[in-house]
Amino acid sequence: MRELVKHVRASLFRVGWPKDERAAVKAMVSSITLHIHSPKVRPASLRFRATWALGVIAVVLAGMLTATGVYLMFYYYPHPDVAWRSMKDLAFVVPFGVITRNLHRWGAHAMVAIVTLHMLRVFLSGGYKPPREANWVAGVGLWVLTLALSFTGYLLPWDQLAYWAVTVGANMAGAIPWLGQPLRVLLLGDMTVGEAALLRFYVLHCVLLPLLLFGIVGFHLFRVRKDGGLVTSEHDPASDRTKEGHRLLPSWPHLVYRELIVGLLTTAVLLLLALVANAPLEPLADPSRTPNPAKAPWYFLGIQELAHWSAFWGGVFVPAITVLGLCAVPFFDRHMDGVGRYFPRERRVASGLFLALMTFFAVVTVIGTLFRGPAWALMWWPN
Amino acid sequence: MTPRDDRWLHAVFAAASVAIVVLVGIAVAREVHRPLTIDQRLVPALGVVDRCVTCHDEAKHPGAMLDRHPVERFGCTPCHGGQGLATSANAAHNAAPDWERPLFSKAERDAACGACHLGTNAPIATVATGRKALFDRGCSGCHTIPGIAPPDHAPELDGLRDKVAPAWVRAWLTDPAQLDAQHKMPTFRLTKPEIEALLAYLWTLPGAPLLPVPAEPQGDADRGKSTLARLRCATCHKFEDRGGDFAPDLGLAGVKVQPAWLWNYLTDTHRLRPHTRMPGFRLAPQDAADIAAYAAEQWVPDTGVLPWQKFDGDVEPALAPKGQQLFVDLGCGGCHLVAGKRAPPSAPALDRLGDRHVADLPLPARGRPPADVPAWVAQKVQQPTAFDVPSVQRARMPTFPNVRADEALALGIALASVHAASPPETWLRRHETAPFVPPPGETGQLVARFRCLSCHRFGGQGGDVSRVPLDNVGARLRQSWLEGFLRVPVTVRMDQPERMPVLGMTEAEARHLAGWLTTVFGDERIGPAPAFIPGDVERGKSLYVQHQCGACHVGDGAGTMKGPTLDGARDRLEPAYVVALLQLGPDVVPERRHPEQRLLPDDARALAAYVLSLPVLGAVPVP
Repeated sequence: MRELVKHVRASLFRVGWPKDERAAVKAMVSSITLHIHSPKVRPASLRFRATWALGVIAVVLAGMLTATGVYLMFYYYPHPDVAWRSMKDLAFVVPFGVITRNLHRWGAHAMVAIVTLHMLRVFLSGGYKPPREANWVAGVGLWVLTLALSFTGYLLPWDQLAYWAVTVGANMAGAIPWLGQPLRVLLLGDMTVGEAALLRFYVLHCVLLPLLLFGIVGFHLFRVRKDGGLVTSEHDPASDRTKEGHRLLPSWPHLVYRELIVGLLTTAVLLLLALVANAPLEPLADPSRTPNPAKAPWYFLGIQELAHWSAFWGGVFVPAITVLGLCAVPFFDRHMDGVGRYFPRERRVASGLFLALMTFFAVVTVIGTLFRGPAWALMWWPN
Repeated sequence: MTPRDDRWLHAVFAAASVAIVVLVGIAVAREVHRPLTIDQRLVPALGVVDRCVTCHDEAKHPGAMLDRHPVERFGCTPCHGGQGLATSANAAHNAAPDWERPLFSKAERDAACGACHLGTNAPIATVATGRKALFDRGCSGCHTIPGIAPPDHAPELDGLRDKVAPAWVRAWLTDPAQLDAQHKMPTFRLTKPEIEALLAYLWTLPGAPLLPVPAEPQGDADRGKSTLARLRCATCHKFEDRGGDFAPDLGLAGVKVQPAWLWNYLTDTHRLRPHTRMPGFRLAPQDAADIAAYAAEQWVPDTGVLPWQKFDGDVEPALAPKGQQLFVDLGCGGCHLVAGKRAPPSAPALDRLGDRHVADLPLPARGRPPADVPAWVAQKVQQPTAFDVPSVQRARMPTFPNVRADEALALGIALASVHAASPPETWLRRHETAPFVPPPGETGQLVARFRCLSCHRFGGQGGDVSRVPLDNVGARLRQSWLEGFLRVPVTVRMDQPERMPVLGMTEAEARHLAGWLTTVFGDERIGPAPAFIPGDVERGKSLYVQHQCGACHVGDGAGTMKGPTLDGARDRLEPAYVVALLQLGPDVVPERRHPEQRLLPDDARALAAYVLSLPVLGAVPVP
């Protein structure tokens, strides 16, 4: 029996538990799961402040969302007659239905926030500069995909919240000149949000967008390795060059252990959230009962706030120019001074501009979320 | 990497692992806490999945309601509200962001009954009261309300200028309670300029031209009073503080109405008011003049000034267009016919109040926010102005007089029973028979002219002045007696204040109507005429005593007047009916007032023989 266990283990794990650095490197390159990482890693990249673990958190969240999403798919029917009833089944009869839905909901919101923060961190440390331009653009794409996944998932409960948020979102897309209306019809499969839209959103949310996301995530991680790992500073006192020469640390266990801890912490926090707060659900979608105000999902409320001022300039132009500008930045801002540090003097213009842009979006999002009441009138006291 | 750093990492790793174990433990504990087996009742046609029976035992449901409404067929939530899908008490009973319909209040439960039990005779007291009040109060004049006909009791306004003085209209529109404490028309809280404008418009409405009142014969007030009594006007009208309240108080109406108009009205009622509920009297000129003279003498207060006379002044014709607009805006034409036409509904249709949530309805500016839709309606009816939005919108709904709290709530319950989509047809119960349509030709003309349906009910339709439905009148009464009664209505039921008025039928008209009534209004439960045998009368007499018929009836000059008098019954009642009544019990009796006797056939025949042997005694008491 012990022999059998030994044989099975040996067939699964090509090397044993590593006892020295050489074995550790061998372990890293010989396992498909671990080979995503480079065998060795700079000590500076392991510091928490180098990444704030945002990228790893995003990957962990994506994994949890996939797992909980598959479970939800077992019980969900993408048709207006029964979609909302599926939420009721999850709430009242499906084992672990409530906590699964909560994990999925809060995980999705968290992922939008974490991916955005990840982008902010990469920008501030100059991580988009050569040779990482393509990976930055892929990252922007992942950010947009994350928003799209969240938005398509928002409709699926088919409650008032979902119905009207998606109606508002689709109408904002419809404000794009020339392309807007065809795009809206393509998205909804109809002139209004209805059974065609629900089916399309379901397929997008469960099949097309996740496949795209996984593919680009693969590319993204691969390029992190091939572009030389994390961007580092020439002047960082903790960097390997100044203090410890060219000595690199083996990824096993230093990096892998830290990733495991981040994964556990993320899971714990999300579990706590899911146990404390229930995912929102409103009455069954009713096209004849418009809430006042009808609001898009929170991450689009900044755009809705801008669209309130001008449907084209605020609702289309600013978001479009922001995404295009983000993609274009690495091809214009190419000097390497101050890279790998936060707020270096050499990059104060870029950092300042980007922080200003993010602050602006944060402020309009907060206004749109908390300080807009019926008829989109300003309320000084959030309700 | 120093060992200290690693210690720190180990601590976080341990803490996160422990946290996950604890949190997963809590999640599992919550799952286990749920009921492991869920019992439910499915009613697919109603979209009902009710898991209430997981905790509640339907066998312990109080009352006998479930005998007729088994849970297998009706579920729980259609009657009780709440969230049937839920498997926890909190989610099942209470409102939540995703479930706006918590358990029903008492009022909402009654309204829920009314969703299936349609009609004004629905066997739920509040629903039936409310539906009748929706008609009586004139709600359906302005609002379209499914199942409620528009009101028919507001006077037509054609030729109003011939009927009353401008001062009376001003006084009435200012404060009708001052003129008639029992008034039914709601007040519209009008300003003086608005009243002037309305008056100007009303004065443009032409009526049938008045015929000149002949100088002779002169009216005599005393004779007028006895004529009113002889014609039994007090059945519907009050005068000198006595009489019915189905029609205007003559003491008040008398002083308001111009004598020439009244004389024309009494000599040919339907020429002036083709849609009134009053029968078409064609009084002789002398009688009309006497009553007009009597009316003119009524209610002169000590000051000699009638309460409305201080509102005197000229009508300003230029204001008529403004008044017409106001007439439309206020929806006056919803109740008051003009030129025989009813105005279209002027207020929102109340056709889905049962689907609304009280949170979606406008909040009153004053007072406590109502808890449910019936309470909201009640508050709106009792205090329409509480829903004003100052400086933005004035409530258009008028103030209704003397609305009791229970009546207001019944109105709300009746309206909350109206849904946009009815339950499936098989669930519906219609507590109203098809409307009675008078036959064409002369019979129909007579029924219309004498307005039988204003007082009598046929098949559940018609007025409720008379307590005697006419459904099986032909099987109960002898044609010859009926013919005489239609001409000269003698009093049969001493205990009831409402008496058939003297309609002034000709002999031919009475014969025609009596023939029609006895031919058409039969009763298949009543068999052929009995064959009496000798000795029946004697045996019946002792049965009469034995069953204490005299406790209610007058027979052979003795007894009480709770029931109809039996002296002279042989001229009035069909023998088969008397036998059927004694054998079958009160089912065949109008109003079902007769006690449950159910005699054996022999006894019934004998008692009937005795009752039908009683002669008319000399003096039948006259009221």
